[in-house]
Amino acid sequence: MSERHPPPVSSATHHGQQAQEGQGLPEPEMAHLSVPELVPIAEFLEQSLPFNELPQQDLYDTVDKIIVQYHCRGEVFNRETEIKGLRIVRSGAVEIRDSDNKLLDRLGEGESFHIGGLNAERGEVQATVIEDVLLYLLPDEAYRALREHHRNFDRYFSSQRNRRLRRAARYQPESNVMLQEVSTVMKTDLLTVSPDDTVQDAAQLMAARRVSSAFVVENGELAGIITDRDLRVRLVAQGLHHGVPVRAIMTPDPETIGGSESIFTTTLRMTQRGYHHLPVMVNGELKGIVTTSDLILAKQDDPVYLVQHISRQHDVPSIRDLILGMANLMVQWVNSGMKAQQVSQILTAISDAVTVRLIQLAEEKLGPAPVPWCWAGFGSQARGEQLLGADQDNGMIIDDSVDEVHLPWYREMAEFVCDGLDECGYIYCPGGIMAKTDEWRQSLATWQKTVRRWATSPTPDAVMRVSIFFDIRAVYGDSSLARRLQQTMLEQASSNSIFLAALAANALDSRPPLGIFRRFVVDRDGEHRDTVDLKKRGVLPVTEIVRLHALAHKIPAVNTDERLQALAHGKHMTIVDSRNLEDALHFIQQQRIKNQCQQIVRGEKITNYLNPRDLPKMAKEQLRDAFTIIDEAQSAVRQTYRAGLG
Amino acid sequence: MWKVRLRRLLYAKRVAGTALQACWRKPLPSTGTDWRQVSFLAVDAEMSSLDVNEGELLSVGWVCVENGAIALSSARHYLIRAEKSVGQSATIHSLRDCEFDEADTREEVLARFLEAAAGRVLVFHNAALDMAFLNRISRREFDAPVLMPAIDTLLQEQRLLQRREVPIQQGDLRLQACRDRYNLPQFPAHNALLDALATAELLIAMARHRSGGGEFPLSQLL
Repeated sequence: MSERHPPPVSSATHHGQQAQEGQGLPEPEMAHLSVPELVPIAEFLEQSLPFNELPQQDLYDTVDKIIVQYHCRGEVFNRETEIKGLRIVRSGAVEIRDSDNKLLDRLGEGESFHIGGLNAERGEVQATVIEDVLLYLLPDEAYRALREHHRNFDRYFSSQRNRRLRRAARYQPESNVMLQEVSTVMKTDLLTVSPDDTVQDAAQLMAARRVSSAFVVENGELAGIITDRDLRVRLVAQGLHHGVPVRAIMTPDPETIGGSESIFTTTLRMTQRGYHHLPVMVNGELKGIVTTSDLILAKQDDPVYLVQHISRQHDVPSIRDLILGMANLMVQWVNSGMKAQQVSQILTAISDAVTVRLIQLAEEKLGPAPVPWCWAGFGSQARGEQLLGADQDNGMIIDDSVDEVHLPWYREMAEFVCDGLDECGYIYCPGGIMAKTDEWRQSLATWQKTVRRWATSPTPDAVMRVSIFFDIRAVYGDSSLARRLQQTMLEQASSNSIFLAALAANALDSRPPLGIFRRFVVDRDGEHRDTVDLKKRGVLPVTEIVRLHALAHKIPAVNTDERLQALAHGKHMTIVDSRNLEDALHFIQQQRIKNQCQQIVRGEKITNYLNPRDLPKMAKEQLRDAFTIIDEAQSAVRQTYRAGLG
Repeated sequence: MWKVRLRRLLYAKRVAGTALQACWRKPLPSTGTDWRQVSFLAVDAEMSSLDVNEGELLSVGWVCVENGAIALSSARHYLIRAEKSVGQSATIHSLRDCEFDEADTREEVLARFLEAAAGRVLVFHNAALDMAFLNRISRREFDAPVLMPAIDTLLQEQRLLQRREVPIQQGDLRLQACRDRYNLPQFPAHNALLDALATAELLIAMARHRSGGGEFPLSQLL
C-alpha cells in the first residue's frame, strides 16, 4: 500500500490489506466464481475428496450452493435430519456409527458424509458430533447433479467410500487389544520361592498352584525366575538331583517389562527373544507375570498370530497365501490407531518370519549347513522400518572355515530363499543386492576385504552399495558373523574422513521438496506428476543423515530411532535436533502409511507417491515442517562432513 | 428493538418515498422469536480510517443467516468508488485499476444494502464502527440514520466472558480469538465478505452453544 494513503481498516479484524484475490488459482480468467471473494471456500473444497475431481467451473458453481452449519458436540444426524445432503467437515470432528452402535468411521477436516447414502449401504446409521463442527452442507439436489455429471466424483461415493466404511466396520472391534497395557492381562497371583529352597520344594509348590513358573526372591529383590522349562532343560536333562537349590537352575536377573507397555510390545519382545514368561514391573516393583498363553490372542488378523502362523507353513504357496492378506491387515491396524513405527516393526517382523521359515524349509531339503553362516537383512529390513512393497535386500555371511566343496549348499539355499521371497511378494532387488547374487554371498574375510576396498576408494557406486550395507542385521544363523562384519565397517568408516565425506555427499543427494511459492515442488514428469515421493524425498534423507552420524561416531545401532537416541545420549547431537529428526521421520512415515492404506482401499498400486493437495491443511503444514527439519539437518551435514572433501 | 421502531417514527416523514422507507416497511421479527426463525444479515465493511470523520467506506460484504445456517448464495461483496482518493494515489489506482472500473458508487451500494437488510437483523463484530460509517452515508443520502436492529458479536462475547468471570486480555475479543473459542477454523481475513462470513459463523456458533439445541429467543442476542 502507498505511504501516502492510509491502508484500509476493517472493523472486524483490523487486518486491513485487501488481498489480491484469485492469485495462485489456475486459470482464473476462464472459470468464474460469482463472488470472487469466496475463493478460499473454493480452495478448501478443492482440497477435499472428491471435489478435486471437479472442473474448476463446476467447483466454483458448487460454492454458491453451500449452506454453512454449526453443531455442538453431542448433536446427531440421522434419517430424521431435516436438510438432506452431503456434509463436509470444515472444522471439528464427527463419528459415524451403525444401528448396533458400532463405529464405522471418524471424520475430520475435509472429510464428508451423506446420511442417506450411508443408510442405503449400511442400514440405519447415525452421525454424532464429537468435537464442535462447522459443516459445509451441499444440499441433495446439487449433490445428485454433481454425481450425475461427473463420473469420478460419482465413483468416489458409489464404491470407494462405502468399501472403506465396510472395511472400517469389519476391522474396528479387534483393534484395541494389542494397544492395551500389559498390566491388564498379567497374572498377579505370584508364587515366590527362596534361592536356597530345593528344586523339588519349588516344583511341588508350582504343581500345587498349577503354575508354570515361580519367582526367586532374595532379600525382597527379584533374583531370578524358575520355569517348567528350567526343570526340564537344566535339571532333568543335565542329570542333576532334585535336591539342588533353586539357585542352581534358575535364570538369574531375568529381563522384565514395564506394566504400562502395550501387549503388542510385550508380545513382540517375547517372540523375538523366545521367552515364555516375562515378569512385569510397576513403579519398580514386581507386580505380576505374563506368559505366552496370556498373550495368545486367537484372532486371525492379529500380527502375532500371523507371524506364528507363517512358521507353521510347509511350502511357499501357503506362506504366500498368508502374506496376501497383509495389505488389508495393515489398513486395519492403521485405522485402529497404530503408529507408523509399530506398523513397520510388525511388517519387518513378518518379513523376518517369512525369511526364517523359507530357510528352515530349505534346510529340510538341503540338510544342515556345512559350516556356520548367517543370513543378513540390509536396509529397511535391518533397521526394522519396512513397509509394504519393499523389495528384498539381503546377503549371506559364511564362516571363514568354508571350503570350496561347501559352496553349492549356500548357493542353493540362497536361491531357494530369494526365489521364495520373490514369490511371496518381496520382489527381487533391482540392484541385485541379495544372497542369490554371488557378490552378496561370501565368507567373512572376503566381506571384510570388500569393505576395506570400498572405504579406501569410495566411488559413487561403492558409496551407494555401502550405504545399504551399513544397515545390517542378522535374521538367521550365527549372528556373531554379522556383528564382526559390522565392527569392521564401523572401524573403517569412523576413522575415514574421505569416506564420510562421500557418504555425506550421498546423503545430500536428495533434497526435501521445499519450494518457492510456499508450495511443494513436486515431481513434474511421468505418471507421478504433481506428487512427492515421500520415501525418496523424506525417509531416505533422514535415514542417510542419521546413518552418517551414527557411523562417524561408531554407533552400532541400525534402527533410526535407536541411532538418534544413541547420538543424543552420546552428546553427538543435541536432544532437540535428535527429537526433531525423529518427529519428522515419524510424521512422514505416518503420511506414507496412511497414503498406502488409501491406495489399498482404492485398489490402486501401492506407491510412495503422495499428492500434497490430498492432505488436509494441517497435515500439509506439518509435512512442510518435517521437510524443513530435514533441510536443516542436511545443512548441518554439509558443514560438518563435506569439509573433508575440500 | 422498540427503540429502533420509535426512532423510525421520528424520521418517518423525512424518508417518505425513499429506499430507506421501503426497507423499513418490511416487518421486523419480534424479540421473542426463536433465533432459527429470524433472518440475519452479517455485515462487514472496510474503511480507509477508523475515524468516521476522516475515513470513507472502501468495501462492504454481507451474507444472510436463515434457519440457523448461512447460505453462501446470499454472499455479496461490493467495492465502493472512493471519492477523495480517486486520482490521489497513483499506486492505489494502478493496483486496483480493474477493480475500480467495476466499483460502485456509494449510493448504489447503499441501495443494495438496504434491500438486503430489509426485515433482517444486522450482525457485526464491533457494530459501532460499521454502523457509524453506514449511518453517515445514509444521513447524507436520506437525512436519516439506517435504524436497523443489530447484534454485536463482540459485545455478546464480552458479556459472556464477564459473566463467566474470565479475565479479558487485550486481543481476546478479536474476531479470530472469539472464533477460536468455538472451534471455528482459521480464515484468511482479507476482505469484507470473508469477515462478514466469519462473523456469521461466530453468530451461529454462539447461538447453538447458548441455546443448547432448543428454543432461544432473539432478545437474548440483542
